[in-house]
Amino acid sequence: MDKEKKLLSRKLAKIRGWIQAAATLLTNIHIPNLFKGKIYQGNAKTVCVPGLNCYSCPAATGACPIGAFQAVVGSSKFKFSYYITGFFILLGVILGRFICGFLCPFGWFQDLLHKIPGKKLSTAKLKPLRYLKYVILIVFVILLPILVTNSIGMGDPFFCKYICPQGVLEGAIPLSIGNAAIRSALGKLFSFKCMILIAVIVLSILFYRPFCKWICPLGAIYSLFNKVSLLKITVDSSKCVGCGQCSKACKMDVDVCKTPDHPECIRCGACIKACPKDAICYRFMGKSCQKNDNR
Amino acid sequence: MKNKLSFIFIFALCIALSLTACGAKQASTTDSKNTQTEAGESDSRLDDLYQQENQLFADHADVWNKVFGMMNKSDADPNGNYADYLAGTVESNKNSFTDDELKTLNEDIETIRKIEEQIAELENKNTSSDDNKNDSSQDTSVFSDFSGEDFDGNKVDDSLFSGNAVTVVNFWFTGCKPCVAELSKLNELNDAIKSMGGEVVGINTETFDGNKTAIEEAASVLESQGVKYRNLSIDSSSAAGKYASEIMAFPTTILVDRNGNIVGEPMLGGIDNQDNYDALMKQIQSIIDADSTNK
Repeated sequence: MDKEKKLLSRKLAKIRGWIQAAATLLTNIHIPNLFKGKIYQGNAKTVCVPGLNCYSCPAATGACPIGAFQAVVGSSKFKFSYYITGFFILLGVILGRFICGFLCPFGWFQDLLHKIPGKKLSTAKLKPLRYLKYVILIVFVILLPILVTNSIGMGDPFFCKYICPQGVLEGAIPLSIGNAAIRSALGKLFSFKCMILIAVIVLSILFYRPFCKWICPLGAIYSLFNKVSLLKITVDSSKCVGCGQCSKACKMDVDVCKTPDHPECIRCGACIKACPKDAICYRFMGKSCQKNDNR
Repeated sequence: MKNKLSFIFIFALCIALSLTACGAKQASTTDSKNTQTEAGESDSRLDDLYQQENQLFADHADVWNKVFGMMNKSDADPNGNYADYLAGTVESNKNSFTDDELKTLNEDIETIRKIEEQIAELENKNTSSDDNKNDSSQDTSVFSDFSGEDFDGNKVDDSLFSGNAVTVVNFWFTGCKPCVAELSKLNELNDAIKSMGGEVVGINTETFDGNKTAIEEAASVLESQGVKYRNLSIDSSSAAGKYASEIMAFPTTILVDRNGNIVGEPMLGGIDNQDNYDALMKQIQSIIDADSTNK
């Protein structure tokens, strides 16, 4: 009987890489623009994509939610971005950090980097750094753009301007390759952000997803919804034998048995694959994703 | 094994990056090749025709050398028909030739007349295609058929440029903080170059097609920054409007000479940066110098 129970959850976790690739492609659909050094400026750009994906990427389909949020709160016309906040709440309540694990292009980029063989280090002892991303969210994404403004109330998108490595990777580098005028305008800020990008790349090879764990303000927002999101990971305590394989497999340092809805969980499904008893599975709106589940 | 894997990864990355880097350039080189081969074809056809003429002269070298000896340089009319000129020379020295010689000469002259007609046709075609090339090089002739309206509703046309040795055209939009930051400096620049025969003109990309609310917003921002120089609203479908919507980074500033041609490369970034200001000023000076020597 147990053999017949094909786990949808396990399947989903197994094809995660392909879903990430597809999501990245859909988020950056205008590939030819990469060679022209031009940004797509059509109507789709008024809509946000779920993951961290720079608006200024020549191939980008939509806007980055973090970038859009800063642009709106920093503009002189608006005090607060209700549209983007609503977007965060909607996606957060439905999917939570599932977006980080499955849909975010920068998350996939770090996943791929981590596949490069070499010494791998654990982040278990660096847990306090997790709170840094909430500081970045509050200070760089919300407070500074609202408070540090010029005489007519315009603020800078501080996170995009001074921190975001995705902006350099997807925006500055392809644009400056394809556009001579932009290349000539590169200065110290570009060098500084390139150093951030290189640091993130090196750290991503050594650690698993350092940017997601410590820096990403978008991950910080979605993590607030992990406990209430419709998509969850649950542990069937009647099947669990307490072997601890799940916590061992978890690269986000979550104790899966105790807190399957931990804010750090990116729903990558490593624990589902690791569980010898098939006790862990995805759940959507209280319904198990397990087929033939007689509940 | 580990080394091999990382080598493969780095190699793949290098190839991907070099592809991105070469993409745009390749497109442009193939373009120029196409036009070159076109021009090359007509050139080789011309060579061929001249060769035919020379062959005629060589075939009857004895008589023709006699004719060339009788030619008078002062009679030669570079714009006249070559065949007519030859016929004239032969006619006026009729008595020096035998009947047979006259016959060959007249036959050759008729053939040359036909060849000359073909040559003229080809040369006409070449010059006209050269003209076409100039028209299609939109980069420099963006403002050849310029029209717009200032924020008070006064119409502006090509004469905007012809009145000054150099016109500094600044592209900006209202929500762009770096653009607003340089406005007061641009106003200073306008005052500085007025006596030298220059003018600063702003084009706000939000105010295209006479958008009333955008013009009001832009005008209030300009007022807050103490800007006195002219700002124009243009048609988004015009050549200048299309040029502006191709701009990927703001602020962008270009220099236009008296004939409405863009001079030099567009400058990205604000002139509130002293380096940018100096570089722009130097270019303005050189255009003014060139203008005064041309007079």
